Amino acid sequence: MGLFQKLVSFLGVGRKEVNVLVVGLNNSGKSTVVNNFKSDDDKVTDIVPTVGFSVERFQKQNLAFTAFDMSGHGRYRDLWEHYYKDCHGIIFVIDSSDRLRLVVVKEELDLLLQHPDICQKKIPILFFANKMDCKEALSSVKIAAALGLDKIMDKPWHISASNALTGEGLQEGVEWLTQQIRELLSVKN
Amino acid sequence: MSGFKRDKKEEEDGGGNPFQNIEKTIVLQEARIFNETSVNPRKCTPILTKLLYMLNQGEQLSAKEATDVFFAMTKLFQSKDVILRRLVYLGIKELSSIADDVIIVTSSLTKDMTGKEDLYRAAAIRALCSITDATMLQAIERYMKQAIVDRNPAVSSAALVSSLHMTKIAPEVVKRWVNEAQEAVNSDNIMVQFHALGLLYHIRKSDRLAVTKLVARLTRTMSSKSPYAVCMLIRIAAKLIEEEGADSNSPYFDYIEACFRHKSEMVVYEAAYAVVNLNRTTNRELAQAISVLQLFCGSPKPTLRFAAVRTLNQVAISHPAAVTACNLDLENLITDSNRSIATLAITTLLKTGAESSVDRLMKQIATFVSEISDEFKVVVVQAIRALALKFPRKHSVLMNFLSAMLRDEGGLEYKASIADTIITIIEDNPEAKETGLAHLCEFIEDCEHVSLAVRILHLLGKEGPKTKQPSRYIRFIYNRVILECPSIRAAAVSAMAQFGASCPDLLENIQVLLARCQMDSDDEVRDRATYYSSILNRQDKSLYNNYILETLQVSVPALERTLKEYTNSNTEQPFDIKTIPVSVVSKPDDHEVKQKTEGMLISSGPAKITPSREENFATKLNSLPGIQILGPLFRSSEIVELTESETEYVVRCVKHCYTHHMVLQFDCLNTLNDQLLENVRVQLDTSEGYEIISDIPCPKLPYNETGTAYVIVKFPDGDLPNSIATFGAVLKFVVKDCDPATGLPDIDEGYDDEYMLEDLEITLGDQIQKVSRANWGSAWEEAESTFYEMEDTYSLSSMNTLEEAVINIIKFLGLQPAERSDKVPKGKTTHTLLLAGIFRGGIDILVRAKLALADGVTMQLTVRSTDESIAELITSVVG
Ligand SMILES: Nc1nc2c(ncn2[C@@H]2O[C@H](COP(=O)(O)OP(=O)(O)O)[C@@H](O)[C@H]2O)c(=O)[nH]1
Ligand SMILES: [Mg+2]
Repeated sequence: MGLFQKLVSFLGVGRKEVNVLVVGLNNSGKSTVVNNFKSDDDKVTDIVPTVGFSVERFQKQNLAFTAFDMSGHGRYRDLWEHYYKDCHGIIFVIDSSDRLRLVVVKEELDLLLQHPDICQKKIPILFFANKMDCKEALSSVKIAAALGLDKIMDKPWHISASNALTGEGLQEGVEWLTQQIRELLSVKN
Repeated sequence: MSGFKRDKKEEEDGGGNPFQNIEKTIVLQEARIFNETSVNPRKCTPILTKLLYMLNQGEQLSAKEATDVFFAMTKLFQSKDVILRRLVYLGIKELSSIADDVIIVTSSLTKDMTGKEDLYRAAAIRALCSITDATMLQAIERYMKQAIVDRNPAVSSAALVSSLHMTKIAPEVVKRWVNEAQEAVNSDNIMVQFHALGLLYHIRKSDRLAVTKLVARLTRTMSSKSPYAVCMLIRIAAKLIEEEGADSNSPYFDYIEACFRHKSEMVVYEAAYAVVNLNRTTNRELAQAISVLQLFCGSPKPTLRFAAVRTLNQVAISHPAAVTACNLDLENLITDSNRSIATLAITTLLKTGAESSVDRLMKQIATFVSEISDEFKVVVVQAIRALALKFPRKHSVLMNFLSAMLRDEGGLEYKASIADTIITIIEDNPEAKETGLAHLCEFIEDCEHVSLAVRILHLLGKEGPKTKQPSRYIRFIYNRVILECPSIRAAAVSAMAQFGASCPDLLENIQVLLARCQMDSDDEVRDRATYYSSILNRQDKSLYNNYILETLQVSVPALERTLKEYTNSNTEQPFDIKTIPVSVVSKPDDHEVKQKTEGMLISSGPAKITPSREENFATKLNSLPGIQILGPLFRSSEIVELTESETEYVVRCVKHCYTHHMVLQFDCLNTLNDQLLENVRVQLDTSEGYEIISDIPCPKLPYNETGTAYVIVKFPDGDLPNSIATFGAVLKFVVKDCDPATGLPDIDEGYDDEYMLEDLEITLGDQIQKVSRANWGSAWEEAESTFYEMEDTYSLSSMNTLEEAVINIIKFLGLQPAERSDKVPKGKTTHTLLLAGIFRGGIDILVRAKLALADGVTMQLTVRSTDESIAELITSVVG
């Protein structure tokens, strides 16, 4: 990195490019979450199930995000790992009303945490306990307990209850993530 | 301008191709840069270009390598660089068939194909269709439908052409896009209109009625803006005319005729081409078409002159009179500066011309034959072949010309066509034989094509002994043994052995030569020499016939398969060559016919070497339970239709003959879209002596699918006459009514139903395999003392000509004609037909039929066979 850029990033003025990976089971609301982050011009009105992945961009507090919105369908989950390397943060979306599949969520999360490209790194993980508006929705505390998040020691993590349709709870979560990534980048430099 | 200069300079420096020395491992290594967090298009673009270049050069990647680089490439979707993205599409298409999990880019591509960036959309569609399989097609269906009717013509065309490709993997799904395609046909864009018509036709093509409607509507309404679409429509119309046997009152004819007045030359030509190639054209249409071509012959545009003269050339044999009308124009083209046009003009004149003009035209050709490409030389050779058959008396002029051509430089295909022509002339015209063989002898003295030399040596071995002075050929053949490569030497040894076996007075010399060959450095040559020499030592006619003069009769692929099985089986028993099915006498024109009638948009590509029909059947039948004990498959019959065409159910039968059994294969097609059939089987009412061994039904037969049921029967024991039989047949099945839209049954319970089929006949021919005897005469002679003989005289009163009788006898007995005796010379009143074959169980049959024309045809039939009852059977069934 050139001296000028170093200076810029130290002062926190220049726009940094960061990559995040958005994962979670299918139908948990990943694409809706990402869509909500986009500027009004780029937003799409109807969201269809993702096949494979889709690259989306948005800005948050002077960071230029490139999000890899992955498909959560069973057939594609094995393919997430191709995108683990070189990502700065992970957004893990959970459908908090889907109690039945919470065990599947845990299984996928554990696999992710054990993956060689992830386990050694101090990547921040943001959990969205999404669909908080649904009647059967579990609270973020219960979800954190069910997934055993307290056992994650080596990575910063945070859980926010959210409603991706209205945007409620998203802002708080992504602010935390931005902060984490910033810290990480400045330490690295 | 400066760019041009730089290019020029680079060329001079020899730095033309920057990718000349790229290496796979290095490119794959470099491609890792794609994984970096922020994509740098300036760096990635040349690397991806290199990768594409490498793949296009034929470099092979393993699945793992391809998958790794594919996933790295998917990360480039982050970049907004237009050029890079389009390279990614190309990369996806290249890797889609090698890498795993390529569907990962589906959403990214659908996003691009529906997005705002027009430069992405068409290319994204093409990439998308390359990664989509039948299971995923549903997911993109909505987008495809939208794209087909998109306002942007590039998008619409891309979607239409991709859909056409998709019909190969999921025809049923693509069928549902027919409304969109219909809409696109009305587009103002000429390409979209053309592509839409292509897709529509492809979807409809198996449904004659729908095609008829389509053509009727389009010929009336389609704005004739797109000359491409009109050309296509002409082709479809012409095909319909052929299929329906339509006469000149048909509206299709009107349409094609109207196209003669179209403003696009392409269309006018297409119409003329269609008319001259129709099987039945009336003189009026033909005259119109020919005058169009005649006009084009005088066009200043070389492409039009070429098209016209090429078409005239192709139809010169079928419509000689019409083509002769253009003689003057063709004469003018002889001196055309375009040599291809000149060649075609001359050869057309040759085909239609009189005997008197042959010499003059041949001289003309000689002036420029060295200037034209091999491809056109082949055209010249073919014209000469036709000429030689037409004017046998001209054989020496033509033969000289051919041998001069043989001495010139030229590729294998060209040389082979010359040799073929000489061989055809020799076979057709006994007077030309000696000269022809002499030319060929001279040719192999200096022939660089091994395969051709081997063929000619084989021919010399076959024909040489029958000439007046066989000894003169020995020197030419033996010279090869001294001078050539091993495969030619081996062929020469075999050829010499033929002389030894057929010409007693040469035997001693041949033995000396063979003895020398036993010292050869090559194993194969030594083996052959030893083999032939020891057989010739025995002085036994029958050994000569079986092991020198006759070629291997068994099917080579089957021999290979059986030997493999034998060596794996550890059995003590010696290998029995009799268990191997004899090879099927191939019909050379089969393939050609097929190519001509196949679809008009998707090319079938170069001819592939396919396993024989019998081998294919054998593989399929081997999976049936209980089939192994039947022994090897002996012969499979032609397809027999057991239903009228266009009925509710279509049933076709193939009869597979084994030594003691017959496996009847019933291919059934269900054409009712509101029925699902289950447990489909054919119930046979077998005749006396036959025994039904097993019955294998087809479990399920949905709409528009073909399923197969089998019945295995055993031939009557020891009762040959009753093996020729007629069975009653009924198709039995359970019907479940279902919803035409989904194909799912309405209810679980079905009901039994049946459908009468036509009677199934088991004929003599079904039990006989044709065998082509290279040396029928000596086999017949030998059989006189060793085989059983039966003879009888018949009067074939329903036959009016010898040709007719010959055709019918061959068909009825299912035997192979030998020594070209199926050709009846013109104007003769007597003829002898020589036939050979093998009855199931490996029993040899030789038949001689002496025919005489007198108020019908009288036939004296002599049958020789290793089995008395077979000889009897044949003489008895003919009556
Ligand atoms: N009620 C409710 N529905 C949501 C919420 N987030 C997403 N959805 C719906 O859940 C479905 C799946 O969303 P999608 O973003 O495609 O999920 P993905 O498969 O994880 O990408 C869509 O119908 C969304 O409208 C939420 O917070 N509340
Ligand atoms: Mg999604």
